[in-house]
Amino acid sequence: MFDLAHILDVLVESYPLFMKGLWVTLQLTFVSVLIGTVIGLIFALFKISGIKVLNWIANIYIALIRGTPLIVQIFIFYFGLAELGISAFWSAAFGLAMHNGAYIAEIFRGSIQSVDKGQMEAGRSLGMTYGLAMRRIILPQAFKRALPPLGNQFIIGLKDSSLASFIALNELFSIATTQGSRTFDEMTYLIIVGLYYLILVLLFTLLVNLLEKKLSAGE
Amino acid sequence: MKKEMIRIENLKKSFGDLEVLKEVNLNVQESEVVVLIGASGSGKSTLLRCINFLEIKNGGRIVIEGEEIDPKTHNLNEVRQRVGMVFQHFNLFPHKTVLENVMEAPLKVKNQNKSDAEQEAKALLGKVGLSDKADVYPAKLSGGQKQRVAIARALAMKPDIMLFDEPTSALDPELVGEVLATMKELAQEGMTMVVVTHEMGFAKEVADEVVYMHDGQIWERGKPEELFDAPKEERTKDFLSSIL
Repeated sequence: MFDLAHILDVLVESYPLFMKGLWVTLQLTFVSVLIGTVIGLIFALFKISGIKVLNWIANIYIALIRGTPLIVQIFIFYFGLAELGISAFWSAAFGLAMHNGAYIAEIFRGSIQSVDKGQMEAGRSLGMTYGLAMRRIILPQAFKRALPPLGNQFIIGLKDSSLASFIALNELFSIATTQGSRTFDEMTYLIIVGLYYLILVLLFTLLVNLLEKKLSAGE
Repeated sequence: MKKEMIRIENLKKSFGDLEVLKEVNLNVQESEVVVLIGASGSGKSTLLRCINFLEIKNGGRIVIEGEEIDPKTHNLNEVRQRVGMVFQHFNLFPHKTVLENVMEAPLKVKNQNKSDAEQEAKALLGKVGLSDKADVYPAKLSGGQKQRVAIARALAMKPDIMLFDEPTSALDPELVGEVLATMKELAQEGMTMVVVTHEMGFAKEVADEVVYMHDGQIWERGKPEELFDAPKEERTKDFLSSIL
């Protein structure tokens, strides 16, 4: 069953197809993580704002996202947005972004609150507005602390993007399943697609580590 | 007659049920150095923080440079630009170099242009004796150096009043002197200062008035030689004998 020579043959042969899927996966991950980070930051700021309404909005959003399966969210976005003429790619991207956003919100909230209270006071005592002190003093420090869990969430986001195959998006995983069922050689294709994900995750981890080192320079 | 820089009338502040300040009255004239002393929990730090509106009073009046400040209607950011503050734990910005720490507020709050801000920041670092540390991150500094940078950072906004909240309490004993020397120099230049400290030597030497606080009230006040050498109140005597 585990014929290495065969797997290598198929790997080389299927390479152009998987490259197409890889490109879709990368785009999908990049877009959903980027939007998810923005959403996460906004809801994190809502949560620490001390304004009750904003607090509620953030709590409801996070509870809804965390309390339901991602696949359900993707289908809801897909069927909901399809009516508005939005493509499968963008509905998957928005669905994943909303999902990532809820988890990233909690990451940012924790890291913002971990910055010493004296930092905000020092900023305010110099005449800075809350917003300016948040942007110039608190967030740069919070972001640095958020980086390790954020990197972790990005990896989860990358792997979760495989669920977009359920709405007929030709990303990595869907290439593996369609090719697998076409050739009746599912296992080989699953091993190959697993390898692709593994390499992506390893490369990404390396990138995050480099960034962490760079950001902690000087301190 | 000298200008009145701070006038506080019947100031009240509570945290929940805990009354931290009970009808406090205080006046500070231009170029005056007022030192607040008292046991921890006596309300001296809270009083200082109310002057800068880091704590919002529950009652009474706060008049800064002749203008009563109502936190609800006044732009507190503008008021804080005139009232600098130095903290016990320095609170330097760890992600910025020493020079950037000092330049940050002039650049972003006053929108000063970069070369002017840099020139002034360097001059201030020279004044506190840290010209050679301009490009270093705060983590590389000693406590005394950090506090001197914090003083320079506050001065960069050209405040009319400086508040010091136990500026030497977090320092190793051998580093206290350099910070006090910087503060003394500032006092001699005519800066209006309100200082919360346990450094009685500094109070004796530099203060125009020493205020002893107890239980959220001003218990006794006077010139340093009066208060230290001939305190009238029993509490003041007890406090002074416990720390000297």
